[in-house]
Amino acid sequence: MGKTLLSKGLAVAVLSAVLGASPVLAADYPSKDVRIIVPFKPGGGVDTTSRILAEYGNKHMGKKGKLVVENRAGGGGIVGQTFAAKAKADGYTVLAMTSSVVTNPVLKETEYKVADFRPVALYNMDPEVIVVGASSPFTAIADLVKAAKARPLTVTVAGIATSHHMAGLALEDSAGMKFTYVPTKGFGAQLQAVMGGHVEMGLFPLGEIKKHADAGTVRILAVATDKPMKILPGVPTWQDSGLNVKRWTTFRGWAVPKGTPDKAVKFLSDLLGKISADEAYVKQMTDYGFPIAYEDAKGFAEVVTDYADITDKVIKKHGLKEKK
Amino acid sequence: MTEIALGFATLLHPTVLGFLLIGIVAGLIVGAIPGLNDNIAFAIFIPLSFSLSPTYAFALMVGLYCSAAVGGSIPAIMVKVPGTASAVLTAIDGHAMARNGFAGRALGIAITSSVFGGFSSALILLFFAPPMAAFALRFGYVENFSLGILGMASVIGLLGGSIIKGLLSAVLGLLVATIGFSLQTGYPRYTFGIDNLYEGVPFVPLLVGLFGITAVLELSEELIRDRRKGVASPDMPRITDSLFIGWPLAKRLLPTWLQCSLLGNVIGVIPGAGMLMAIYMGYERISHRYQRLFAGKPGEPEWGQGAPEGIAAPESANNAVVASSMVPLLSLGIPGNSVSALFIGAMMIQGMVPGPLLFIDHADIAWMIIVAFLVANVLMWPIAYALVRTISGMVFRLPKYVLVPTISLLCLTGAYSDENSVFSIGVAIASGIVGYATRRLGIPHAPLILALVLGRTIEDNLSNALNIGGGNWLIFLDPAEHPISVALMAGAALFIVGPLLSGARRRFQAQRRAAELELENG
Repeated sequence: MGKTLLSKGLAVAVLSAVLGASPVLAADYPSKDVRIIVPFKPGGGVDTTSRILAEYGNKHMGKKGKLVVENRAGGGGIVGQTFAAKAKADGYTVLAMTSSVVTNPVLKETEYKVADFRPVALYNMDPEVIVVGASSPFTAIADLVKAAKARPLTVTVAGIATSHHMAGLALEDSAGMKFTYVPTKGFGAQLQAVMGGHVEMGLFPLGEIKKHADAGTVRILAVATDKPMKILPGVPTWQDSGLNVKRWTTFRGWAVPKGTPDKAVKFLSDLLGKISADEAYVKQMTDYGFPIAYEDAKGFAEVVTDYADITDKVIKKHGLKEKK
Repeated sequence: MTEIALGFATLLHPTVLGFLLIGIVAGLIVGAIPGLNDNIAFAIFIPLSFSLSPTYAFALMVGLYCSAAVGGSIPAIMVKVPGTASAVLTAIDGHAMARNGFAGRALGIAITSSVFGGFSSALILLFFAPPMAAFALRFGYVENFSLGILGMASVIGLLGGSIIKGLLSAVLGLLVATIGFSLQTGYPRYTFGIDNLYEGVPFVPLLVGLFGITAVLELSEELIRDRRKGVASPDMPRITDSLFIGWPLAKRLLPTWLQCSLLGNVIGVIPGAGMLMAIYMGYERISHRYQRLFAGKPGEPEWGQGAPEGIAAPESANNAVVASSMVPLLSLGIPGNSVSALFIGAMMIQGMVPGPLLFIDHADIAWMIIVAFLVANVLMWPIAYALVRTISGMVFRLPKYVLVPTISLLCLTGAYSDENSVFSIGVAIASGIVGYATRRLGIPHAPLILALVLGRTIEDNLSNALNIGGGNWLIFLDPAEHPISVALMAGAALFIVGPLLSGARRRFQAQRRAAELELENG
């Protein structure tokens, strides 16, 4: 049901975009600054990647307009996301779109729906990983799975009804593991719980934990990607570990309000493509811990639908939707 | 040792040092302007730092972080408007001392105490970071809950008169702290459908309102009262005496500095406790010391009426939190408080992650930050002394009727710039009005503020501790598994029982004296 609604919404979005396209506006796009709305405070993953994109993107922007990052934090992203959804659909307002744009309207009473946005392009995927502290008795994923089948393991997640909590619920459904969830505010508190041995494991997005694993203070036992990752030697996928969850990744990309002219969408999508081909950009993003994953508008829409499908299942099964 | 040398080598580059100096001066100014603080300054600076070399960016941030709390004490002393939340207690004795004609001495005590506290925490960061970080890691949900209880208990000694009003104040704070999504369910509570309240009442504008706007309203009240009476409002105090405090006073304040610096350092290292808890606990402890040793002696004012210890305690405690809050951040990647958490953002924008790997991948930067705290505290001393007259003269010598709108405007601008949100302006105004109303009703603010700071910590850690412990409430008192928690709970019990006992003793002594008098007279 979620999928049909979503694809219907996307169809409506595309249709209205075609009908509502203003040739005058589109002709000399971009003729002024394009602002990227980051719905979080400065200094987070979304903000940092947006600034890197703006820096490299401005090489291709011409003289008339630049990419400008604008932070509109609050409401766990909802304030900025709503702002972008209601912005003029002229191609000059871009939302730094993350997975929460998909789940927020399903979980909470938001004023926007995911169909209010038109995906432009995807630039980064951040897979979920299972993490234990350096002094944990679990050295391989098999030990941990065995333990989690015998009794509930305490697992720290960055908030209930977040993508990370849902990843845990998906593991319970598919792999027969049992968890006691210990929610925290933010990844720092989560790290403290795992490193201090106050919980038995943690579910993290890779980008938040990779450097700590490199430092040896925590261990990554399994990663939720289709294939093992080159940057994680010796770490199996969830699927290969018998967890029956093929893929669980949050994503970062660009989206525009529905009704934005095709020409602007194509320009922005191509722009992300050009940036992604820049070697210096690829190196900087990888060094920063954000591996490149470029998808154009069509590919990004599929990623969004895919994510809506897997989270929808979990949300329905576990009754996560806010009750009014 | 070579690492420390590497840190100095990086820092002593002229431009880097220049940025550190800019940071110190900027911190004094930002701190001195009511409505602006280090949180807001970093929120504005971090996006700009993207195109700056990391050494420059961090040197500036360290300088600003060190001196903001010193700056905050200037308006607290001169006009009783705390420039930052950390100066809320300094305003009491500091302003009283200034009114008594010793504004210079009050500022001198604030600066010297801040440098002492700041320098002590810089030494902790430089030499004792690994063991302190290991200590911080032992704080799990059980320990953090008990720490929150200890923090709340520490204000009981400050209540003085009415216990009922104190409880009312704490309850109000706890209620406001419940606004926002519940960590346990993920659902919003008491947000009335307002998205901006989803993460709780925005904290920076809340404090700006509670401290800045409340103080402005009190100033206006004074103005109106004087005008009605037809008398000219007395001018704000000026610096007429020496800023230097002299050896005898320094010697007398040394035990206060040591005690509060120790407290500030321990609290700074523990993630999630924070500066406000440190100043209240230090102030409470030292108030007893003052009552015991100085109160009632000739030339010594009552506590709260200009006692030097009343400035020295919060000022040494708040600066002792500064560098120590970087201990868990740099050693483990876990922020010690909300300001050090902003360093994570600033590092991320430079492609760095705080934690052990920073010392391998970017050893020069990591060690530069550490030694910069030491150098910043040394430089801050002369700079603060040199600038304090100028800064306090700039704005605060204005007549009151100009001061009121100026400070209001600054507060509202500061509230807005934290999140670029008009909603935050409303929060600042509302909390200012509530702050003023509660003051008028004689409701003490200390429990309210600590409840605002600690309410969420207490709730979240309680539910997580019980979650892990299978619902067993006795885990908080389990000496085998959680000895730290037992000690904290015992401390909380002392905080609660102590004032009751001393009250009973005072009553007993008064009775005995009355009886003796009766005997003599009879």
